[in-house]
Amino acid sequence: MSWLRIRELVRKEFIQLFRDKKNRPLLIIAPFVQLLVFGYVLSTDVKDVRVGVVDQSRTRESRMLMDALNANRTFRITHYANHSEELEEVLLERKVDLALKMGPDFSDRIRSGDSAPVQILTDGSMSNMASLRIAYTSLVLDRFNQSMIREIYKQRLDYGKIDARIRTWYNPNLDSRNFFVPGIVAVLIMILSLLLTSMAIIREKETGTIEQLIVTPLRPIELILGKIIPYIIITQTLMIIVITFAIFWFSLPLKGNFFLLLAAACLFLLSTLGTGLFISTISTTQQQAMMTVFFFILPFFMFSGFVFPIASMPTAIQWLTYLNPLRYFLVIIRGVFLKGVGIAVLWPQFLSMMVLGLIVFTSAVKRFRKRLD
Amino acid sequence: MNPVNIKAIARKEFYHLVRDFRSMYLAFIIPLLLILMFGYALSLDVDNVRTVVVDQDRTELSRDFIRKLNASSYFDIIHHLNDSMSAITYLDQGSTTMAIVIPPGWTADLKADRSASLQVLLDGSDPNYAGISRGYITAFIESYNRDRLISFLNRRGMEQIKAPIDGRIRVWFNEDLNSQNFIVPGIIAIIIMIVGSMLTSLVIAREYENGTMETIRSLPVGGGEFLLGKAIPYFLIALIDVLVAVFMGQVLFGVVMKSSFYLLVLASTIYISVALSLGLLISIVTKSQLVANQMAILITFLPSLLLSNFVFPVGNMPKIFQILTYIIPATYFIDILNGIYLRGLGLSHLWQSFLVLVGMLIVLSNIGFSMLRKEGM
Repeated sequence: MSWLRIRELVRKEFIQLFRDKKNRPLLIIAPFVQLLVFGYVLSTDVKDVRVGVVDQSRTRESRMLMDALNANRTFRITHYANHSEELEEVLLERKVDLALKMGPDFSDRIRSGDSAPVQILTDGSMSNMASLRIAYTSLVLDRFNQSMIREIYKQRLDYGKIDARIRTWYNPNLDSRNFFVPGIVAVLIMILSLLLTSMAIIREKETGTIEQLIVTPLRPIELILGKIIPYIIITQTLMIIVITFAIFWFSLPLKGNFFLLLAAACLFLLSTLGTGLFISTISTTQQQAMMTVFFFILPFFMFSGFVFPIASMPTAIQWLTYLNPLRYFLVIIRGVFLKGVGIAVLWPQFLSMMVLGLIVFTSAVKRFRKRLD
Repeated sequence: MNPVNIKAIARKEFYHLVRDFRSMYLAFIIPLLLILMFGYALSLDVDNVRTVVVDQDRTELSRDFIRKLNASSYFDIIHHLNDSMSAITYLDQGSTTMAIVIPPGWTADLKADRSASLQVLLDGSDPNYAGISRGYITAFIESYNRDRLISFLNRRGMEQIKAPIDGRIRVWFNEDLNSQNFIVPGIIAIIIMIVGSMLTSLVIAREYENGTMETIRSLPVGGGEFLLGKAIPYFLIALIDVLVAVFMGQVLFGVVMKSSFYLLVLASTIYISVALSLGLLISIVTKSQLVANQMAILITFLPSLLLSNFVFPVGNMPKIFQILTYIIPATYFIDILNGIYLRGLGLSHLWQSFLVLVGMLIVLSNIGFSMLRKEGM
């Protein structure tokens, strides 16, 4: 193996990459645009619940309930309907997320010590959001009940009750951005490294220059290294820039060690570069390679826990996700960003990523060399 | 427009497709596979929240509390630990979502009618998951307390106090709160958009790259005929994809339509045509397969996934992105699918979305047509 030959190949690759104007948007603009768009758009927070009400009793008690809802920052009463058909119609047209119906005997029942039924309809079409909405609504109702009991019976009910002190760790305000933005960095690295390596080799194949490379004294392993080193350098640089940008732009907390992330990225790149190499052996044109890359990325992306929690998947699929390198990288990058944990906690992920990476990479290299011979 | 010409172009395109096994595979099998796989596996629902408990009180009552917790389908107690430090390790490793610590003296407090604190630690990294888990545990403790209140009142011999208001929460449109009911239709919309535009983005660029565009230009074929002929094979493939996916969704995942099937076919027809004309337009503009492919992925995949109200609600986005969602075709198709699948709506409610899609189709195909004409077709 000659480092000189590898160096020259790396240099050629860099020149080729930056000379082609078409590559510039892919390398420079796309990562930032994606980071910004993802960072602003990915959010499953339940923030602004639009509520429609029908108040047929129009009394102090019914107004108190509406005030209790409005006082909670999550809810905002946007529609006051006159009868329930009107209310159901706005729910149907997606103008409100929650509908509240109070009957004409609402206050009478409360004052006579009876329970007054309140009918609450919620739009369940996004079921995860609906679950949260239901939880928040029942919380408001429970608080309302407690204060009403105190008001009506004028006595304290000191019974032995559980006082749950729920503390949310790592992301106390349940801010979607803290969860998604570190993940985006991982996804960006994956897309870029997969795409660039497979393209780099296919391009030579397509233009026929691979034959020229083969007749040079370059040995297969040198060719592979020369093709891969530039992309390791580029993705690592990009990762540093993107993470720094994310930290400042989105004021993201980085609780752990930055260099641990870079080390994790190296192991992660083993798998993605290996996959890129593999794709280049099964494709003959750039277009085929692009398509194949895309259909590799999609399952990697969906089955990684980036958006859809792995714990909610069927068990068989949960087992399959162990083959997904992005899964481990996401745990590491989120662990370092949000939890501030180090190698002592994350070593299983590091180890799995390394084993997976070595297997993918060596088998891709083997296959690639066979193609060259 | 001469149907014979259109047929000839369509046949040529069809041969291209069939001859190249790989693109047939990409066009037909992969999308179906993705829809099935994602429809089967992706879910945002939360059940069996992994929980570790640290019972420092070790009494009958605390054990009973833990038993009740485990019996509920919302929680799955994976470990009983001895001290809260090891619970923290579990949280750090991400091997549990929740840790519940019952402090010593808990039972004594409860029996003496004092409030007894219970520590719940929640891994908040995934806000969606954590928020729902927090809702579950709050509701669980609330109902546990209600039972205790009733027994307290009975002990005092007081008449039973009724809760002043009785909130009867009902869920509409997706009664059993199953996230597949909105994820499966959404996935169909996204995959069809990607596949439709990605495949067609290549077909005209290919003619330019191979130099066969000159040949086609010299033929007595008009621009409209050319575009239509190019689109037809892909249209059929995408339509079959949709129909199979809808059928599978119904049979395998129990995602059932509440409204008319024919309305769905109509909506899919329009939506597929929008995707295809977008792809063809990209192809004409870029004239290079590689660039066209990249552009198609960039302007269809991410926007359809992110800006279409699929799983990320538009209401949470900054204003500028909210405006952007209005120009994404998938937004309207997902709205229509939501209406058909979950709300049981008909054309009387959905006509606006239909109209916008038709408008997009007209605009996109006209731009493509006039650009081809400028090229001399």
